[in-house]
Amino acid sequence: MQIAEPLLIAIEELSKLPGIGKKTAQRLALYILKTDQDSVDNLVKAISDLKTKLHFCTRCFNLAEDDLCDICKSTKRDTTKICVVEEASDVMAIEKTNEYNGLYHVLGGVLSPLSGVTAHDLKIKELLLRFDKENISEVILALNPDTEGETTSLYLARLIKPLNIKVTRIARGIPIGGDLEFADEATIGRAMLNRIDL
Amino acid sequence: MILSGLSLRNFRTHKNVTLNFSKELNYIVGGNGQGKTSLLEAAYYLCTTKSFNSKDIESVTFYENEFEIKGIFKDITEDKIRLIFSVPENRKYYFQNDKLISRSSQIIGRFPVVILTPSDHSITQGAPSERRKFIDSVISQASSSYLEVLLDYNKTLKHRAVVLNLLREKKTKQLETELDVWTAQLIAYGLDLINYRQNFLNNFNKYVLDSYHKIVEDKEVPKIEYFYLDGNETHDIKKKFDKLIFDKREEEIRRAINLVGPHKDDFVFTINKINLRTFGSQGQHKTFQTALRFAEFFYLKDTTGKTPIFLLDDVFGELDAYRAGKISNYLKEVGQAFITLTDFADFSFLAKEENDLIIKLDKGNISYA
Ligand SMILES: [Zn+2]
Repeated sequence: MQIAEPLLIAIEELSKLPGIGKKTAQRLALYILKTDQDSVDNLVKAISDLKTKLHFCTRCFNLAEDDLCDICKSTKRDTTKICVVEEASDVMAIEKTNEYNGLYHVLGGVLSPLSGVTAHDLKIKELLLRFDKENISEVILALNPDTEGETTSLYLARLIKPLNIKVTRIARGIPIGGDLEFADEATIGRAMLNRIDL
Repeated sequence: MILSGLSLRNFRTHKNVTLNFSKELNYIVGGNGQGKTSLLEAAYYLCTTKSFNSKDIESVTFYENEFEIKGIFKDITEDKIRLIFSVPENRKYYFQNDKLISRSSQIIGRFPVVILTPSDHSITQGAPSERRKFIDSVISQASSSYLEVLLDYNKTLKHRAVVLNLLREKKTKQLETELDVWTAQLIAYGLDLINYRQNFLNNFNKYVLDSYHKIVEDKEVPKIEYFYLDGNETHDIKKKFDKLIFDKREEEIRRAINLVGPHKDDFVFTINKINLRTFGSQGQHKTFQTALRFAEFFYLKDTTGKTPIFLLDDVFGELDAYRAGKISNYLKEVGQAFITLTDFADFSFLAKEENDLIIKLDKGNISYA
């Protein structure tokens, strides 16, 4: 069967999204084709606005509408603590627990040489610079408890401990192999309370 | 635990078949190319998500896009398992009672399986990697935490090899520290593996001895000895591990490979303390290989609390009548078994009992006797 060029391109682009295979992409493309023009325009605008109106916070690399994110701008946070996470979605997961009132730092991934990620591909230098400018007394590592997350925690602990800053890691209440953003709030909350020294 | 039935679609020569099995011995009889071994392979897929002898894509019928295997395991409960391999996606989907399961450690060991095939000769005669593969597959079925550590360890090896390679090209402080933490991780997982393997062998050797004596009645004492790190005994394994890896650091960077750790372990099979690999006769090798699989069977039965299904692929053709008769008798002690035979008439020593089933495969037709 010959597939029309615009449909082919749409499928190609949609299937680049995480978790979307060729079959799903095709279903989505056909669905969009059947939808009315207004809905399609709204979708296009939403996607476009996402990219133009949202940025990464210049301090912690969380999602932000301005230079700084809402958490960095807030005056109610405990500014002596930084919780280090992989992605901005982890910030949202931890915020939902209401167990943590400090600041964050989003690494943008974890060490994974096999996928081409080494330390200088992560926001580690930026984290170390924050210790000069801010008055930080504790760093809480909240990375996924898989091989790469654990190794990254170990790496950060080696860099931070000589600076006389307390380094803790959230306790392992998270199911092994489970991704942090999918863990339920209670589990993350408990893990945040039971953190251990590194 | 038994496999009560199997349905195959586009699986090798089986376009579309459904089979029912006996809860005891199932003799699968047919000429070459009738798809006897693929029935064992399909059962093995349901238990392990993998083939025992080939890549997924090789099991798909020519010109088809996917294969599907369905089976029902009966124990106290009943589990419907469905496995699909899709060629365009190069992906496997494993469903237990219609629920998708994506972590192999949640599957392996749930339906324990043991397979004895002619290619088992490589366990006693082949490279150390073949022995590690055997030992790993037994422990993994008995312990999902072992499998988790093994997967983490293998992943760590791959990451670390990349860092070694980067360091070979360019030495930086940052990469040195990265190597240090991957090394720490390798040692941590590696120590776990060594510890598991030691404990396993302490226990497993009794099973090997027992099975060996069921197959040959004599005073021969078989044993598996474990060689890890530099092969010498030590009370402080961690200290030795640290030192070996420290000493090899420059060489590891120069060659960009992991030189120290349980991925280099070997297991030495001995009979009366004499090395089987160097001094064993063909008969002793064959007996040892068979004893290993029976030992695996009874070990898994005791540790998992479930009776594994036993697959025997074309085993009797290679044995002398004495050993074949012994093994045939020994089979009465296992639960459900699947035995492929090229020609049933030649195997008069097999005493078929009432509940045993003969399944004949002939050009896509299946008949039972
Ligand atoms: Zn921020």
